[in-house]
Amino acid sequence: DVSVTESPAPPGSVCILVDTRCISSGVELMTCLRQRHRATVHVCSLDGSYFIVSNRMAVERHSQSDLAAIQNRKRLAERVNSLQGLFERICLIVEKDRTKPGETSRPFQRTRYYDSTLAGLVRTGVRLLWSHSTEESAGLLADLARLEHRKGQGIAVPLEVKGQHMQQALQMYLSLPSVNYVHALNMSQNFRSIAHLINSSIEDIEKGGCMSRSRAEAIYRFLRYSCDSFLMNTSKTGKICQ
Amino acid sequence: MEAETAPLNAVPPYGHVVSSDKWRNSSLIHSLKGGGVKILYENELGVADFHLPNRSCVLYVSEYDIIAGNGYKRKLVRYRNVGTSFQQLVLVENTRLSEQYFSAVQKFVVFDLGLTLLPVSGQTEASQLISQIVHGEGRENPFRRSSSSRLLDPQVLALVQQIPGVGKVKALTLLQHFPSIQQLCNASPVDLEPFMGQAVAQQIHSFFHKSTAAGP
Repeated sequence: DVSVTESPAPPGSVCILVDTRCISSGVELMTCLRQRHRATVHVCSLDGSYFIVSNRMAVERHSQSDLAAIQNRKRLAERVNSLQGLFERICLIVEKDRTKPGETSRPFQRTRYYDSTLAGLVRTGVRLLWSHSTEESAGLLADLARLEHRKGQGIAVPLEVKGQHMQQALQMYLSLPSVNYVHALNMSQNFRSIAHLINSSIEDIEKGGCMSRSRAEAIYRFLRYSCDSFLMNTSKTGKICQ
Repeated sequence: MEAETAPLNAVPPYGHVVSSDKWRNSSLIHSLKGGGVKILYENELGVADFHLPNRSCVLYVSEYDIIAGNGYKRKLVRYRNVGTSFQQLVLVENTRLSEQYFSAVQKFVVFDLGLTLLPVSGQTEASQLISQIVHGEGRENPFRRSSSSRLLDPQVLALVQQIPGVGKVKALTLLQHFPSIQQLCNASPVDLEPFMGQAVAQQIHSFFHKSTAAGP
């Protein structure tokens, strides 16, 4: 008994969610997405500076030098790992470094480290896209969103979360394991109440959250998981839980 | 048209690359050898140029292929249609001459065919990338997802604390009597009252059952 809502974007247009942290570095990109690609761009607070282009795909944008810097590896690995938990598909747009006015453009020096990073990313199934400029990156984001839309995975849920209780429900859904922002939006839209979700079948969670079967199963199990009272007792003294 | 023979599904041993015979005297092969990669030649690789030990294969699209026109597209389609269990990579020469076509090539390779594209400036860079893929098999991949078996209890506890008016102490008390989220959700205010004040008990119940206005 779950009915799925219609797309917020006008026909022919796509919907992209952007983390607030992308604003400072991405004004030009967002303007381009809105004006040239007629995309509905919605800024929200995600758990990292990335874009969501569908129910299952997140996109990160990195400069080539960023990806080549050895000191970034740990952080990049953590980012990729955490996105892998939330999304079926992850895409990295690698953007050529901009040359500042007056600076002569230096050719990018490819290192062994850079190549091994690419090899590692490709090996784990991260999709790579290559861009020369901000405008091209905007085009790639719009193309990805359109492709996902054609595959029936486009973001098709109202993006505004109205009212205090709706906001609370959204926050609760976000604290379910491996639920991303679009899943949470879908759930707050498609279930009558939080109890409705909690008592739903795996099939209904899958449908109402617009998520994969295995993710729906994990949520279903989590909602029925019985806390070990021993663990809960020790956690009172702060040993298990922070 | 040449006869399509079933391509060999040979996985080279560690540290080796299986190369299509036509690459025998290329600078790519020379610098691969220089990078400590051992080469096995094979006539029956099908469309692919190289097979790598991590079950991936490589098709090389040169600057010349791109500038010469559409022939490379047919080759790419055949490459994609082989239906191999290998991860299919496409190395694309992105040079001053081919740069203007790069975005169209990328659209075709990634969006239309769903293959992985890695740009290189020429055969030397290609050999460096291939040797990293070959040698990388022996190392741990930092991007491989660690299947973390996180304890669920702390996550349940954190979720219960999302209920307005419920902090850590109340959350722990609730979970001792209603150990799962579902049990807590389905408890009536009367069930909750022995452990919480009447007002909080009502608040918890209504948090779960109140309509999320937009829902149908």
